[in-house]
Amino acid sequence: MNTCPDKMVHYMHEYLDEELSHEDEKELKSHLHECEACRTHFHELKRTIALVQSTSHINAPQDFTEKVMNRLPKEKKEVGMRR
Amino acid sequence: MELIVKKRIKQVLKGDQNAFGEIVELYKDKVIHVCYRMLGNRHEAEDISQEAFIRAYINIHTFDVDRKFSTWLYRIATNLCIDRIRKKKPDYYLDAEVTGTEGLTMYSQIQADGRLPEEEVESMELQDSIQQEIVKLPDKYRSVIVLRYIEELSLKEISEILYLPLGTVKTRIHRGREALRKQLRTM
Repeated sequence: MNTCPDKMVHYMHEYLDEELSHEDEKELKSHLHECEACRTHFHELKRTIALVQSTSHINAPQDFTEKVMNRLPKEKKEVGMRR
Repeated sequence: MELIVKKRIKQVLKGDQNAFGEIVELYKDKVIHVCYRMLGNRHEAEDISQEAFIRAYINIHTFDVDRKFSTWLYRIATNLCIDRIRKKKPDYYLDAEVTGTEGLTMYSQIQADGRLPEEEVESMELQDSIQQEIVKLPDKYRSVIVLRYIEELSLKEISEILYLPLGTVKTRIHRGREALRKQLRTM
């Protein structure tokens, strides 16, 4: 990978952020075609994202809202008076 | 969703506390999830999420109704998480060291001080490992990665939540992805 232009990794990230121009994307793709090290790098980045996104969602416990409501400051009719 | 929320906020501002309960219901899962990914501990995540909603309630009059409520709420929650991470840094490094030793995970360490049974059941090994790697990220990278990939927010939204220029958000996402790539490579 050391011989590759630094901008290739930059292009990969821009691509992942959907911000790579069409022209640069072509350059990246043709480079990936030739360079196995960069291909691996790119694959690892995409895999990283997939792994991060594979983590399941956590839900709040049943009594969460109740707990929050119980901890709110006592009701004040005039919100403006609070401070 | 934002429309209903705006209506509820107006009711809260008029003194109707119950209307806030509906706001909590709408956002509680998202907020707790962000906090969990940031902190890596469910109890802390719940604690901080409660705190975030309470702060949102107390400061609701400062919310600009022309903005997106979720962005504002995430900002409060993310900032609380970052504060918490900074406060417990020595422990965090200690835990990170423990994870390096074979067979011992940060979670197996934490389990002793009270994880919920259902949490143990649902925590698959891979998910735990991924979570550990997320928690190892420096907080400035962690917050952008969590917001980008777990909450699936746009770069612009993240820049609004974290009060950072778009360019900084991009740089942090790039570096965060690179750091995670190296950490997750062997997984």
